[in-house]
Amino acid sequence: MYYSTTFRILSSIGAILLAGILTIGCGKRKPVDYSTEVKPILNKHCISCHGGVKQNGGFSVLFREEALGNTKSGHPAIIPGDAKRSEFIRRLHSRDPKERMPYKSAPLDKSEIEILTRWVEEGAQWGEHWAYVPPEKPTDTAANIDYYINAKLEEEGLKAAPEADKLTLLRRVSLDLTGLPPTTAMMESFMKDSSATAYEKVVDSLLASPHYGERWAAMWLDLARFADSKGYEKDAQREIWRYRDWVIDAFNNDMPYDQFTIEQIGGDLLPEPTDAQMTATAFHRNTMNNDEGGTVDEEFRTAAIIDRVNTTMEVFQGTTIACVQCHSHPYDPFRFEDYYKLMSFLNNTRDEDTPGEYPVLRLYDSIGKKQVDTVTAWISQHGNTAAKKEMNEFLRTLEPKIHAHDCDEFLNGNLADTKYLGIRNGGSCRLKNAPLNGRTHLYMYYWTGNKGSSVEIHIDSLNGPVIAKQAMPDPEGTNVLDIPIPAIEGRHHLYFVFKNSTIKPEQTVCSVEWMALRGDLPGKNDPGYNQMEKAYWRVVNAHPESVPVMVENPTEMFRETRTFERGNWLVKGVLVKPDVPKSLNPFPANAPRNRLGLGQWLASKQNPLTARVMVNRLWEQLFGTGIVETQEDFGSQGFLPSHPQLLDHLAYQFMNKHEWRMKATLKEMVLSAAYRRDSRSNAELQQKDPANRLFARGPRFRLTAEQVRDQVLAVSGLLSEKMHGKSVMPYQPEGIWQAVYNGQRWKLSEDGDQYRRGVYTYIRRTSPYPSIVTFDGSSREVCTQRRIRTNTPLQALVTLNDPVYVEAARNLALSMRSTGKDQKAWISAGYKTAMYKEITPAKLAILTKLYTEAYDKFKEDPAAASSLANCKDNMPAVGELAALTVVANAIMNLDEFLSKS
Amino acid sequence: MSEKLIREANERAAKYFSRRHFLQDCMAGIGATALGSLIGGCNIFSSSSPVAGMPQSLNPLEPKAPQFPARAKNVIYLHMAGAPSQLEMFDYKPDLQKLHNQLCPQSLLQGKKFAFIRGVPKMLGPQAKFQQYGESRAWVSDFMPHFSTMVDDVSFLKGVHTDQFNHGPAQLFMHTGSARLGRPSIGSWVTYGLGSENSNLPGFVVLTSGGKTPDAGKSVWGSGFLPSVYQGVQCRSKGDPVLYITDPEGMDRDMRYQSIQAINDVNKLEYEAFSDAETLSRISQYELAYKMQISVPGVMDIADEPEYIQEMYGTQPGKESFANNCLLARKLVEKGVRFVQLFDWGWDAHGTGEDTAVNLGMRNKCTQIDRPITALLKDLKQRGLLDETLVVWGGEFGRTPMQENREGQEMPFLGRDHHAEAFTMWMAGGGIRKGFTWGETDEIGFSVVKGKVAVHDIHATMLQQLGFDHEKLIYHFQGRPFRLTDVEGHVIHEILG
Repeated sequence: MYYSTTFRILSSIGAILLAGILTIGCGKRKPVDYSTEVKPILNKHCISCHGGVKQNGGFSVLFREEALGNTKSGHPAIIPGDAKRSEFIRRLHSRDPKERMPYKSAPLDKSEIEILTRWVEEGAQWGEHWAYVPPEKPTDTAANIDYYINAKLEEEGLKAAPEADKLTLLRRVSLDLTGLPPTTAMMESFMKDSSATAYEKVVDSLLASPHYGERWAAMWLDLARFADSKGYEKDAQREIWRYRDWVIDAFNNDMPYDQFTIEQIGGDLLPEPTDAQMTATAFHRNTMNNDEGGTVDEEFRTAAIIDRVNTTMEVFQGTTIACVQCHSHPYDPFRFEDYYKLMSFLNNTRDEDTPGEYPVLRLYDSIGKKQVDTVTAWISQHGNTAAKKEMNEFLRTLEPKIHAHDCDEFLNGNLADTKYLGIRNGGSCRLKNAPLNGRTHLYMYYWTGNKGSSVEIHIDSLNGPVIAKQAMPDPEGTNVLDIPIPAIEGRHHLYFVFKNSTIKPEQTVCSVEWMALRGDLPGKNDPGYNQMEKAYWRVVNAHPESVPVMVENPTEMFRETRTFERGNWLVKGVLVKPDVPKSLNPFPANAPRNRLGLGQWLASKQNPLTARVMVNRLWEQLFGTGIVETQEDFGSQGFLPSHPQLLDHLAYQFMNKHEWRMKATLKEMVLSAAYRRDSRSNAELQQKDPANRLFARGPRFRLTAEQVRDQVLAVSGLLSEKMHGKSVMPYQPEGIWQAVYNGQRWKLSEDGDQYRRGVYTYIRRTSPYPSIVTFDGSSREVCTQRRIRTNTPLQALVTLNDPVYVEAARNLALSMRSTGKDQKAWISAGYKTAMYKEITPAKLAILTKLYTEAYDKFKEDPAAASSLANCKDNMPAVGELAALTVVANAIMNLDEFLSKS
Repeated sequence: MSEKLIREANERAAKYFSRRHFLQDCMAGIGATALGSLIGGCNIFSSSSPVAGMPQSLNPLEPKAPQFPARAKNVIYLHMAGAPSQLEMFDYKPDLQKLHNQLCPQSLLQGKKFAFIRGVPKMLGPQAKFQQYGESRAWVSDFMPHFSTMVDDVSFLKGVHTDQFNHGPAQLFMHTGSARLGRPSIGSWVTYGLGSENSNLPGFVVLTSGGKTPDAGKSVWGSGFLPSVYQGVQCRSKGDPVLYITDPEGMDRDMRYQSIQAINDVNKLEYEAFSDAETLSRISQYELAYKMQISVPGVMDIADEPEYIQEMYGTQPGKESFANNCLLARKLVEKGVRFVQLFDWGWDAHGTGEDTAVNLGMRNKCTQIDRPITALLKDLKQRGLLDETLVVWGGEFGRTPMQENREGQEMPFLGRDHHAEAFTMWMAGGGIRKGFTWGETDEIGFSVVKGKVAVHDIHATMLQQLGFDHEKLIYHFQGRPFRLTDVEGHVIHEILG
């Protein structure tokens, strides 16, 4: 028997009346709160069949108007104020298994039914989800972090731990703010300083350290899914490390978070954007690019745009919106169209999944810059400021380009490898609706190994008039061919006929990657023109270093956005315009409806999520768990904040008092008593708050993948403090990079570059650096909001045996042996170097025993000693060094060493 | 002998204990008390915050019971990366022979996308000879002579289809249930659901052959959003069998033992001071690492297998080969490794060269796998392991009945393009019906006409045999429940024994 007798009796209509009377009888009670009481019940029991995905029986409880509307039966299921007559309530009680809700599941608890009944009686009001209401100015302006934390501790009857000892705190805050242990000098001055501001001074100097930017960039790069390769099958190299450097610099310069947001989303659309602002937009060029032959570029361009929509909402809004691609959000108030409205902000960029990764920002060397100056000076002399600006933009990116994949109607030729025009002698292809608009030059970027090639351009049809004939010399490399064309207004089909009678019939005349339509250079008859023109073509044909960036489509290339029916990109639905979800703050009145405007909307103080999500993220980095634990989901399926007022306080301060500055916000956090507490737990805390969600004790958890590596290098004295530049390849075992295309090799970096910080390690998406991944590092395929910390034997093998760690142990052993007279002194010194505190006698005894065991062994086997210590010195020195290497290796494997405490 | 001397001798023996002793008594080693106290119940299906990163048991690989009694305990998945041609192996199409060299009818091309075929290609008849074998009268080509003796142990799925026709996405789809990166692989799901039987070895082992890793890279054995502890561990036949498993030169086993003992002794003091459960977990992980250091090289060494076994598989110890990997797969399963995934690269028979011609290179590839696969099935059977081991074979898609004409040109060798609409896979052991064929394609092997099976159906069936309802093996991530089969998947009841 499934139903108890009691339930049977209760589940009659009479019971409803009874419940109704009870409810009314208790009318003085606080009204039911939708967000905290009703919504969780609906999410748990109702919404999977009556939500954004399914609306069984024509009934959905996602939006109020839907919930109160007519169902399939022709009547509404919820009648506000009248629980008795509401089918919604009646069905909860029904004894008929075909009627009783939740269908085919256990009935609701009495208490749950009572909440829903009262809620309908009270008018079935929809409350707003807490996270969509902007944080208000805290009523108690004197309140600080500890005020909120201590209030909660008091409520729970928990006692806060005392402050951690000075050295523990120093190591903690240094690892947190810079990702590295403190320097000896810093430790010494901190220990000597007994003033009340000693700790604050240390915090200030850590925040000013250039290592601060490296540490926080490591966090951001997971979100930005930054990698050194394009992903997918070929996974070829991508030169986008300048974006990583931009992030490091932005953190070091304490760029306000609103600006940080706007520049990454729409920096290229700012007035006269700097190279740095352009580089910031590489944030969304970190999407994957598919170079596999046979793949349709539009499919993967679309995949990249979808990733950008999802990532934007995840990173800045803590909102999972991917599901809205196919249907309205199952739990949260985001409608199907909202997704595509957001997409239309991001859908108008020039990048089209081409192997060249265009558009790229061209970073000319000093000679190139001079040539650019020559050209732009000429243009401003002979044209106007608008022309100068246009030329400047063109030379920065050579955009807008028309890519080879836009051609069709191939005759005796094809889109070779689905990438380049590969037309054989006499063959042709069409460029549909080319926006000529009076322009007089067609540029064609090509290469060929053949002499005697040419191209003919026909207009409007293959047999239409020839508007240009141009020889295509063998440029011995790549070249931009200038094809003069007559000025013709409007859009026309262009037909390209490629000729070379000297080549074999199966050979292609040339390969063409892109074309561009341009006007004349002004001042043709003026003196100096030729020199300027020469400079111009040198610039255009240069291959400067570059970084992929965002460039918006010009009007003539505008791409409309339509919904995808059931998320299928091939089945286009209704046309949509750029807009933001109605459930969030309105789009700023003066903002342009483009990416820049989207960035401004995100960075608006009216946005309820941006600041909350970011302060929560910073908090999580320091304390191990966010105030909202599900930092990736601030929606109604995510967890409620453990300290809602604290979260709002931090968010409000972040935006207003600190003017979006992260250093000030972090400073406020690390100066709090909550952060400075001793991290020892005890039986009571283990029982009541095992995960330390109430912050009665200080944070203690394992370091991140990058920190594990960096700390070992720092402590052993190997670390290179060099900043910026191309990603480096530290030691990696043979045979890791065994990808399908063998063009690339892992080449061990030299001259100290093998000892750079983890943030500079080369990340290939399909084969990421093994020890980083073992410690939960991301392979950066998609945005990672939160690394789940694991604890595995493979991690132990890395820190025990990875040659990087063994070399570090050797180095630490060397420095240990130079610091005292005997083994005890050496071991104590080694421990202190690693842990920044004195070793306890018990630990010293254990490690001394290990030393003695090892030394005895090496005495009998000097060859083993030489191998481990990697030196040819004689006993006893080599035996001591080898035994100390064993001890150093053990120290660098201690739980306390791998953890922040 | 004095008592003191005996005691000393015993202590010394305990100190320099033998490898054998340690393995037999692995639970009683260092920190055994701590470890023992860690292992509590673990209900992975409870709704209480699987997202939260707070493992309910501190050993996430603790063996767990499936949802219902399982037919299979382990899986060996043989993936032929690049996609083998079903038309030269199992799907016999005499009518295609009749159409050989004729132009492909427009009706087959309309509205279809191919990776490389352009314009109108010619039909390509089967390049192998077929015959029926066994009591089940299953068709097998002369490319697979050994395997033809095993057909009565196998269920063929001739109507498999996928929706991806490029290698990377199709391999991801086949192994993670999604064509995009970021989802857990099937082996990760299985170890997440069932844990690992052998605490000395990883629960999910990956072996590759053919000189290259699969096109989609290591993501095909990645753990996606599941904790990284569930990702596949690649074991290699060259270099360290597991990365960093070898102690540094000059440090022998005893010294490593002493060093781990010291690390754990200090960690125990740390635990007493801080009461952090993670510290306890680390103590047990260091023990496991030590045990793996002993057991993995042993398992990964096939040299000690008897001559007749080597002969049967066609192995060459010390080299990287599919044959070696098949033998390793058996050894690993025997030791209780839950999921063994083999990838063999080199099946992309486009006909661009001799090595990718369906009648030449592909035949060689078949020769490379034919004996080892047959030996694997026989060997599992003779050891009574086939009943509890599910063996799955297949590629990421199939190949076209048309001859490839890359860029609209005739190719120098006979090749077939990628084909997502119909291909053959097979399963054996683990409660799968014996000597059976499910599904059928049309006369030329282009489309499925009966018994159509989707990739998610394969997954659902595999999970079913392992004791899971695929709709209930879920993980909450980013605010929604995820499963291997997404919102699809039907168990293929026809092939269940």
